[in-house]
Amino acid sequence: MSALSFFKDALYADAYALKKGFLQSRDPRINVAAILLLIIAVLFVRDTAVLVWLYTFCLLLAACSKINLLFFIKRTWFFIPLFSLFIAVPAVFNFVTPGHPVFMFTLLHHPVTITREGLSGATLFVMRVATSVSLVILLSLTTKHTELLKVLRILKIPQLFVMTLGMCYRYIYLFVEIIEHTHLAIKSRAGTNIKHKKGREIATWSITNLWIRSYHLNNQVYSAMLSRGYRGEPQVLHEFKTTLRDWAWITAAAAISTLSFAVY
Amino acid sequence: MSNTIFALRNVHYAHAGKFPALCGIDLTVTAGEKIAVIGANGTGKSTLLSLLDGLIFPDAGRIEAFGRELTEDALQDEKYAQFFRKKIGFVFQNPDVQLFCPTVKEDIVFGPLQLGVSMEETLKRLTVLAELLEITDLLDRAPHQLSIGEKRKAAIAAVWAIDPDIILLDEPTAGLDPLTTRHIVDLITLASSQGKTIITATHDLHIISEISDTVYLFDKSRKIISSGRPETVLADDEFLKKNNLLHIHRHEHKDTVHSHPHLHPDTP
Ligand SMILES: Nc1ncnc2c1ncn2[C@@H]1O[C@H](COP(=O)(O)OP(=O)(O)O)[C@@H](O)[C@H]1O
Ligand SMILES: [Mg+2]
Repeated sequence: MSALSFFKDALYADAYALKKGFLQSRDPRINVAAILLLIIAVLFVRDTAVLVWLYTFCLLLAACSKINLLFFIKRTWFFIPLFSLFIAVPAVFNFVTPGHPVFMFTLLHHPVTITREGLSGATLFVMRVATSVSLVILLSLTTKHTELLKVLRILKIPQLFVMTLGMCYRYIYLFVEIIEHTHLAIKSRAGTNIKHKKGREIATWSITNLWIRSYHLNNQVYSAMLSRGYRGEPQVLHEFKTTLRDWAWITAAAAISTLSFAVY
Repeated sequence: MSNTIFALRNVHYAHAGKFPALCGIDLTVTAGEKIAVIGANGTGKSTLLSLLDGLIFPDAGRIEAFGRELTEDALQDEKYAQFFRKKIGFVFQNPDVQLFCPTVKEDIVFGPLQLGVSMEETLKRLTVLAELLEITDLLDRAPHQLSIGEKRKAAIAAVWAIDPDIILLDEPTAGLDPLTTRHIVDLITLASSQGKTIITATHDLHIISEISDTVYLFDKSRKIISSGRPETVLADDEFLKKNNLLHIHRHEHKDTVHSHPHLHPDTP
């Protein structure tokens, strides 16, 4: 079940979104745009030093948003290897990226050389992934998911789509709970030493069960929407306010983004 | 218009065409009435409320609402649908079904905004209701972050926000502690004193004398087998026992064992 709890935590932790830090006090629309500008810079810059600056800036933003830096770094670097190592590590070696050798060793009687070009390419790549992942995580930590959904609406994505997305999000939690309860119920009845075949039967059964439940839920939720006057086009509340500080923040983000391009 | 709201004649309904849920219901509801529909689990209470809310339609028999036959076709008429949905509010048995928006606030404003109430008026209702139900602090929370009592209150606020004249409630106090139950019963009686028509499905016998002046008792035959004033229906122990609404509790007093009927506040 720890995978489930991790999933639940990652998806639903909005403790940081409720703090009154820098990003939390900005208009979420502006935050999305500003982070987007920064990510564009990160994806196109070819100088590791500039990336290091951008990464530092991201950490600074996190600190101003009252996020525990240790927690933030741990969380981002937990995801980064998954993205980068598989692609970056092979590129270090001479048979992938030819160039000046920095380090040599033998592996299974074959000489292996790490090249300077390979190494710097890999560093650039890791820094790029690290910085963009950090920016995305920063945005998701400081914005409530409900507000992100509202921003999607404003970006002219059809209301129906956004509403469906919101409802999926809303009910994933319910399903995670149903799975958890089913698992607990099975455990308490059958103990933990379920034989392989039996275990598979139970899993199939509970997935079927989940399927039936989701079908019923779907019907019922639709009834609940009809009952409150839904006729195919949801009407929603808009309540974002943009202040001078928001405009200052987006201008700063745009400036940093342009500057990064100028440097390279 | 006369003040008959619903008139049901010999209504039958089976889920998916094969699981009978109601087998011949006759019922008339007039404006301002307080009605309780009681019965054990699976006797068709929820099905009846869904029929009254125009979410499902009878297989046989006839339902009239506001002097017009309630059918799928009738509700295709935009004007009638809008009128009907504004008139009737339904608090579902399962608040997880009712609260389908990302936050409590969005759920509360959903109904009025759909039904064309102005933004200003909607926000006014939101503030008033949040205060009345003591959920102001919960408005920005997601439904999964609420306790069952808080979910029930949020669901009630979402229906009250439409300001309907007729309110259908499906087991509004199931699973709640006495204090929250009290709070909800008070809200129902307040709405009733403001002239609203209230129809509640419940098996919480403790609350029915407060929330109703007419009780309809459903049994396993999925029909109304008895109706009357709450005191009369509640006085008939044998009858309630036969219908699974009363438990016999055995107690031991010193050496003697005796048993006596006992109101069961909340059969699951
Ligand atoms: N979606 C459904 N599919 C099949 N049968 C159902 C469904 N909903 C209810 N029923 C059946 O209809 C009968 C009445 O159910 P219901 O109206 O929910 O009773 P109550 O609310 O009094 O507990 C029960 O026998 C129940 O099993
Ligand atoms: Mg029911």
